[in-house]
Amino acid sequence: MSSGGAPAPVRASRRGGAPWLVLQLVLSGSLVLLFALPLYALFTYAKPAEIFSAAGDPAVRASVYLTLLASGIAVLAAVVLAIPLGYLLARRPFPGRSVVEAFVALPVAVPHLLVGLGMFFLLIPGSPLYRLTEALGLPVYDTIWGVVLVMVFVSAPYTVLASDLSFRATDLRALEAARALGAGPATAFLTVTFPAALRGIVAGLLMTWARAVSEVGGILILAYTVYPAGPYNGPVSSTVSVLVYDLFENGNLKEAAAVSSLFLLVAFTLFLAVRLAERSGRLPWGRGELVP
Amino acid sequence: MTSWTVEGIRSTVGDFDLGPVNLDLGPGGAVAVLGPSGAGKTTLLRTIAGFVPARHGRLLRDGVDVTRWPPERRGLGYVPQGLGLFTHRTVERNVSYPLEVRGRTDALRASRPLLERFGLATLARRYPAQLSGGELQRVALARALAAEPALVLWDEPWQALDVEARHQLSLVFEELRSGARIPVLIVTHDPSLAFSVADRFLVLRAGAPRFHGEPGALLQRPFDRFTARFAGYENVFDRPSLAQGGPGSLAAWLDARAGPGGVAFPRPAPALDPAAPGSWEGVVRVVRPTPEGLALTVAVGPVGVALRQPSTADGRLPGVGDRLRFDVEEKSLRPLEAEDEASGAAG
Repeated sequence: MSSGGAPAPVRASRRGGAPWLVLQLVLSGSLVLLFALPLYALFTYAKPAEIFSAAGDPAVRASVYLTLLASGIAVLAAVVLAIPLGYLLARRPFPGRSVVEAFVALPVAVPHLLVGLGMFFLLIPGSPLYRLTEALGLPVYDTIWGVVLVMVFVSAPYTVLASDLSFRATDLRALEAARALGAGPATAFLTVTFPAALRGIVAGLLMTWARAVSEVGGILILAYTVYPAGPYNGPVSSTVSVLVYDLFENGNLKEAAAVSSLFLLVAFTLFLAVRLAERSGRLPWGRGELVP
Repeated sequence: MTSWTVEGIRSTVGDFDLGPVNLDLGPGGAVAVLGPSGAGKTTLLRTIAGFVPARHGRLLRDGVDVTRWPPERRGLGYVPQGLGLFTHRTVERNVSYPLEVRGRTDALRASRPLLERFGLATLARRYPAQLSGGELQRVALARALAAEPALVLWDEPWQALDVEARHQLSLVFEELRSGARIPVLIVTHDPSLAFSVADRFLVLRAGAPRFHGEPGALLQRPFDRFTARFAGYENVFDRPSLAQGGPGSLAAWLDARAGPGGVAFPRPAPALDPAAPGSWEGVVRVVRPTPEGLALTVAVGPVGVALRQPSTADGRLPGVGDRLRFDVEEKSLRPLEAEDEASGAAG
């Protein structure tokens, strides 16, 4: 082939690529800006000294601890309950599967206060479920269990949906190869299907955690104030979201902004740590999977 | 060394029925399962592997009925279509997998010789996404052999391989057969692989075996358009295309001799001289070089006939637009059976 003919399409594609790149940058940049600006406003409204001061405040620390503990338990519940449901939806056809799939996404769409009201009607004192939770030593009103219950309700769907999609995307032929090469069904699931789906599942768990810590409405009704019970043995407190809501309602805008900024830093650190660990190949699903 | 017998196996996937299939695979035997898409080739492999339950019949391993055994107990080296490599595991941990699941604590070390044998030692720490097509095939085969299989099942071994990788892989198949004497069952669409590797062909059509025998028999007697093309017949015509010919045309002459599915015949050798004898005359439409010389396509009325390169005393080569005369020997014609519509549910 002559040397004169080949480079032309490359130059043409470069020329065509620049506007496309600009368009991508503009669109993506707009969204990142939309995310960043309100957060910037929060951070600048509260001075760094106020954020440091909030971090040192025992009441704020108790609230952050309570929020992390409750959301941690909610994520654990999602691991135990939501991943199996995601697998079931992905891999086991059954009558009414589409209905269940639609139903599972419903908690995300329900207005937050209605979540609390629904829980309240379900667990109204004297009802069978109320008596059951009391008998099991898991009282929900104004305890961490109430917080966890609401958090699981509103956030577990993210893990169900992420698991469903991730399990669907795993290569069934790899699973069959594993079986034929000597792995029983459980071994094949644990060594092939689950690790291959893990990256998506972890993304779902992160979303579950994020949604759990941001919940306000349901918690306001079920556990506005949290007294020590179960795994939470700190002072009487409330979740960060409720605390910020409370501060805002009482006109303490500076303090509300400081507490919000502090918690945003905590959340950002967690997300960044997971992403960096993923990039460095230190997470179990390895680096190779990320290579296109 | 293990012998396998497939005895009247039938299975069903959705509304697709396979079988009954009968097959004997002795030590070192290699059977190529052929057939158009949807004929049931992959379903047969998955039935033998135990992923599709057999409704009838038996699978015997050295005379022991293993029909109801789960896949992991059958002793297989199974390479599914697309290879089924574990994308989250490195090359070495793919290859050592069969040893790991058998509880071998030295799985990585024990699989090292296989990595070296297949030229994968330098790629041991890479992930499948970082490998080329030929390297992926080698990983899949090394992993299958790490299981020390009593039967290798391979669905489409040569997909997306370059010429050199194909050559290397055919050497491995040869070694499997003559060295370790592991029986091999391969599903392929590739005639050159099938003819170079297999000592028997099983042709499936719409889930049923249509031919089971030596490759030479299929070369001599292709029975439908698929087998004719697979056996290298380049002139394969169906009835509707022949029906377009007028009285006295080549198409009409072929139509009178065709079977329900049409007719096939090898490429005739034409003469470039217009005055040369020959019953039919055509105009060259396509000239393409092949390792065996020029391949020509000439238009003769509504049909395009593939011809060999003419031998001319002056060494002149034909070009597009030249007129050629040729004969089609009646004894070279292979009347073809009608092909069933592929049922589509299975590969």
